[in-house]
Parts: sequence; structure tokens; C-alpha cells
Amino acid sequence: MHLEDTRRLFEQARERFGEDISLSDRPSGEGSIVVSGPRVREFTQWARSQSFDFFADIGGIDYLFESPRFDLTYTVYSTGQKRHLHYKVKLDESAPAVDSISDIYAGANWHERELLDMFGISFNGHPDPRRILMPEHWRGHPLRKDYPINGEQVQFSGNFGDVEPQTLPPAPGQDAFAGWQALETTPGSYTQLIEPAAGPDGQPDADGRMILNMGPQHPSTHGVLRLLIELDGENITRTLPDIGYLHTGIEKTAETLSFQQALTLTDRMDYLSPLGNNLAYSLSVEKLVGVEAPPRATVLRVILAELTRIQSHLVWLGTHALDMGAMSPFFYCFRERDQILDMFEMISGVRMMTSFICPGGLREDVPDEFMPALEQFMRVFPSRVGEYETLLTKNPIWLERTRGVGRLALDDALAYGVSGASLRGSGLAWDIRKAEPYCGYETYEFEIPAGTHGDVYDRYLCRIEELRQSHKIIRQAMNRLEPGPVQTNDRKMIPPPKNELDNSMESLIHHFLISTIGFTAPHGEAHVPTETGRGLLSFYIAGDGSPKPYRMRARTPSFANLQALPVMLQGGLVADAVATIGSIDIVLGDVDR
Amino acid sequence: MSGSQDAVPGIVFSTVDKLAKWAQSSSLWPFSFGLACCAIEMMSTVAGRFDISRFGAEVFRPSPRQADLMIVSGRVSMKMAPVIRRLYEQMAEPRWVIAMGACSSCGGVFNNYAIVQGVDKVVPVDVYIPGCPPNPDALLYAITRLQEKIRAGEAVPGGRVLTPAPREKVVSPWKK
Repeated sequence: MHLEDTRRLFEQARERFGEDISLSDRPSGEGSIVVSGPRVREFTQWARSQSFDFFADIGGIDYLFESPRFDLTYTVYSTGQKRHLHYKVKLDESAPAVDSISDIYAGANWHERELLDMFGISFNGHPDPRRILMPEHWRGHPLRKDYPINGEQVQFSGNFGDVEPQTLPPAPGQDAFAGWQALETTPGSYTQLIEPAAGPDGQPDADGRMILNMGPQHPSTHGVLRLLIELDGENITRTLPDIGYLHTGIEKTAETLSFQQALTLTDRMDYLSPLGNNLAYSLSVEKLVGVEAPPRATVLRVILAELTRIQSHLVWLGTHALDMGAMSPFFYCFRERDQILDMFEMISGVRMMTSFICPGGLREDVPDEFMPALEQFMRVFPSRVGEYETLLTKNPIWLERTRGVGRLALDDALAYGVSGASLRGSGLAWDIRKAEPYCGYETYEFEIPAGTHGDVYDRYLCRIEELRQSHKIIRQAMNRLEPGPVQTNDRKMIPPPKNELDNSMESLIHHFLISTIGFTAPHGEAHVPTETGRGLLSFYIAGDGSPKPYRMRARTPSFANLQALPVMLQGGLVADAVATIGSIDIVLGDVDR
Repeated sequence: MSGSQDAVPGIVFSTVDKLAKWAQSSSLWPFSFGLACCAIEMMSTVAGRFDISRFGAEVFRPSPRQADLMIVSGRVSMKMAPVIRRLYEQMAEPRWVIAMGACSSCGGVFNNYAIVQGVDKVVPVDVYIPGCPPNPDALLYAITRLQEKIRAGEAVPGGRVLTPAPREKVVSPWKK
């Protein structure tokens, strides 16, 4: 959204809120409105009435040496007007608290819990104020700037004898591993969360209800998701997801690394679409620094992002079918996926975590063998999609297992911030590539598929169609690929080519500085929404003039999509839980970060 | 398997121990238990191109009770570590552990508050695989390496020492 749009909205809101709102003085390409703490609920309601129907994110930034200390950044989207709005609440250091908005946008629930967990901000009137990512017994709030990053000192040859290898946590008693058992939360304490209707774990209570624990080790939860499901016979009455089993501290770690180094962490976040994450991060950093990637890099980025979308969907299709007992699609899908991974290996040397798209363009140009390999893939792929469809689309067992299962109404989907094919399955063709285009997506011709029923089958059809549309986009991108540079010419961001170093002192200096400390970003905040295979992914990056991101907030699609899972499971059969989890295509690395 | 030179043709003599080790190493049943990125490469290893069944290890079991090989594929968080410990204890002996990838070997790039710096702090590990994530070939190599260790009796069923002696100060091999 442009600064003028924000100004216009601000003037509109001014009539109602008067002095309680102001424009943020932090430099940012799109601007944001600062709302006084007590009126945030009212402002949220107003924003919702201004057709901002899609709730995306609440991010926190800890400006430790400023007063007020905390910035909460709310982001809401308008699917109809194709724009978004940031508004902020500033909170003081002593007992930071603000009113919860989880009854206005249901999706705020988990985001507020995350802020409670990571920043220690309490939300008045929140229905379930508990930690969400860290274990219950954790002390402190990791994303606060005065919280140390911890970890262990690494032994190098120079300090080998001085560093004591640690065992975390300190092991009590004789058994070196006993300390871990003591840490495990007993199952009983979780079942209390669903009281009073439920009986003890594994046994039905007086009403005949029982609690089923699913995960964190379960072959069909796509990672380490844990669900507590309350059952009435075969029917699910309530579901409580428990996440954080893959919490990696990526946002905290990024604050200690330079912009180029932090890029490598984004690969490992949503590990099924590494290049999509690279792209989202790079776009935000480029916006913050104020450079643009050259045209060839932009076209190649589109090709790589779409290839990533295809391979991500292929893993989804293979495992989703596998969960429901269809073994063969798995082998079919991984066949094509390996073809794509071979191309990634060709350009970068790595199959998955390429970090190939970087701020300023691409790491390097693609090798000559890339285009023929891509051409070969493009030739076979449409018929391969046909093969998957032959296996599943009209398969009676598949229809029986997916039709009418795991329904999600459109209103719920929007309020929870569900995006990607999970939202489109519910009937709204909303895709960031069309709504707020980046990388020149507005110039490509493609369609956004949408379902009608919002069930597992519609989500399946949407993703299958997206495979074809991505193929179409890649074909167009291949035709417009021109030779040229793949990195920006800005010497402050990309090191100058080696041959200049012999002749130019300035080039040598820039090369040295970028190689040793990295490029610096100005004070300010930047945010570019993108669409990955899973949905709306955006990085909210704050710079403070140093070569490191002051804060890197990742708004990940899986986190929001998973939050709507209890709604989809409600009233369904326990056997359908597996089908529903598969259909929202979550990646736990993306949920927990 | 060894036979003496003057044995009757067609008859092979062996000790029960060797026979058992051969059988154990030739049909490892991995635990289908994925943590993060490496789990996707583990799935690639199962799929047709790399085909883990050539090494007799394709029977992935979703229950720890039926598995004897735990492939820790991905980063181990502080919240997950106790769960891994419990799963390991639920596996029947003999049991082996492969730490797949940099994160489960040593914490990888995530040296921070959330990640355990190596799964060997939680369970005993037989084979470590470097890489982020390791190629499927690397996982296959690790499996053959584990098979060799099992046959040679180096990989102790049930894991190595659970009660280690107090750590001695390690002296750098490079320090004069």
C-alpha cells in the first residue's frame, strides 16, 4: 500500500479518533497509523468496517532504548480493495498490556499468545493466555532485546581446551539423560485444558467423551504437531493444537546475523519452499535499502519461485495421498520433484536449501545447462499432472474421503487469516500475486483457481490447478528471459566484480566492507507481501542503520492456517482428521519458526 | 558367515551371534519420525529414485515399538527433546540412532536458546551425517555404515553408555 493511501485512511479515521491516532514517524515505504493503547479495539472494529476483512499478523518489535519500548504492528488486508494496512500500538516497558482483539478477528488469538510468549505482553480479555511456542516451564521472553540468545560456545581449534562442552539442561543424578524426562510435561496437565467435559486421558467420562492425543510423533501430522482431540464416540467435539515442538528461534537468530547471513535461515523456515522464502525476504530487504533487482533476475526469480511452488505442491500431494492410504501418488510426485531438485542442484550445488535468491538479485547467473533441463521438465510436466489426476480426481475412494470433509466457511477463513489454496478452496480467489503484485506478476497471464464448498476436495482441486498455472507462468517467463546482469549495480549492496578490484580503490573498499561486515540498511521498516505455496508470507524487517536486521518478523502462512484447524475438524469424524490436516498443507517449520 | 575349508558343500557354519547380527543389519526397520527439513530428504530416500529398500531398510514403522532404527532428521528443540528421549525408550532393543544433518549432530546454524546442540545430549548416537540437509546418498551411506558397525559388533544394541563418567577436560589435539 502506498503512503498516500495510508494518509487518506488516516484522515478518515481522524474524524472519529481525533488525537488518539497519529502517523508513525518511523520511515517506511507505506506508513502506518499509531493508535493509542486503550482505543485499539475500537480502531480494529473501524478497520474491519472499512472492508479490511483479512487478518494477517501482529508483530512485535522491542525498541529497548526508546520510550515507549514496544511496538506492536497489526497488519490487516482488504481482499476486495486489494490493499493492506499497518497500524501500531506503542507500549510502555512496565507491565505492557493491551486489549485483546481476538473476538474481532479470531486469528489474533494465536498471534497474541505468541507475543505473550516472546515479549511478555499481556492481552486483557484474552480467552486462553498461555505460552504457545516455548514449553510451559520456560522462563523469560526470548525475543526481548535484553534476553540473551544463549546456545553454547563452539569449540574451535584455537579455544578447544577452554570451552567446556555443555549438557543442556544440567543433568541431575547419575543418569546423564534423566534431566530430559523431568522436563516433559505430563499428559495430564494438558488434558486439564479441555476440562470440565473430558475424563482422564484415554478414558471416557460420564458423558462418554474421551481425549485422544495425536502427536507430536504421528506419521500424518506432517512433522511435530500435537493435537488434543476430544471425542464423543467417533465425532470430534473439540480440538486443541499444541505447537512449538520445532521452535527454532529463527527470528532471534536473524538479529545476530548480517542481512546476507540471515537469508540462509529463511530457507530453513518453510523447508518446502526455500526459494519462496528467499524471495519474500529479499524483496523486503531490497525495499528497506531501496534497491531493485535487474530485469533478468526478476524473471529468473519468477521461474524459480514457481518451480518451488510446484515442488512444494508435489510433496503435499504425495504425502496427503499417502496419509489416506494411496501409496502410488507418492512415488509419482517424488519423481517429478527430483527433477526440479536436480535443477536446483545444478544452479546452486544444493538440492533444497539453495539461498539462491538473495537481496540484490540472484547469487549468480544460472548455468547454460539450466534452460535445456527446464525445457525438458516443461515438456513432460503437463502429462504428469494428468497422471496424478488419473490416480485421484475421480477415484471413488478419494471422493468418499475428501468430499464434504473438513469444511471451512469463507468468513471463518478470512477472520483466521487463512491464505493460499486453503482460502481459495473456500471460494475466494485471493492471491497476492494478483492482489498486490510483486516481481512483475501483473504482466503474466494466469488464473487463480477457487473452489466452492471449502472442503478437502476443493482444496485438492485448487492445488492441482495451481500446478498447471505455475507451469503456464514459467513458460511465459522463459519466453521473456533476456541476457543481462542478475545482480543490482548498487555497489553498497553487492560486492563489485573481481576484475574491478585491481584498478579501483573504491571497489576494493566496497568489496572488503560487504565481505566482512555486510551492507547496511537505513533506519526504518519494510514489508512486502508475497504468495508462496502455502499462502501469504511476508517479512516485516526493521533496520537500525547497522548491517544486521534489528528485527525480522516472519508472518508465516502455516501458522494462521493451522489455527483454523479446530474449526474444520469440529463435528467431523476422527478418521477425517488426517485428511483435513493434509489438506491445509502445513509445514511445522513454518508454524513454529 | 564363515565356513571351514573341508566343509560339506552347501553347508555354511556360523555362530548364532554372527547370524543374528547379519539378520539385524540386513533388515533395519526405521522409525517414521520426521522433525524438519531432513525429513523431506528422508522421504526422497524412500521414493523410487534412491530406493532405500535396496538396503533392506524400507519398512518405516510409525510406532516406536516396532522400529529399531531412529533417524533423527532435523533440529531438536528444547520442547521436543524430552519427547525424543521417551520415544527412544519406547523402542525395543536392539536399537540404533542415526543423527541426520548438521542440526541433530551439533545444532547446525541454530546456536540459540531454542535448539539442543546435538541430539547426542538426549540419546546415544551411532552414526552422524553431515550436511544441511544431507543428500539421500549420504543417508544411504550412513545406513550401510551402520550395517557395517552392527556386523562388526561396534554398534552396541540398546545404545552406548547411559551413565557416562564425569567429563575430563578435553585438550586440543592442535595445541602444542
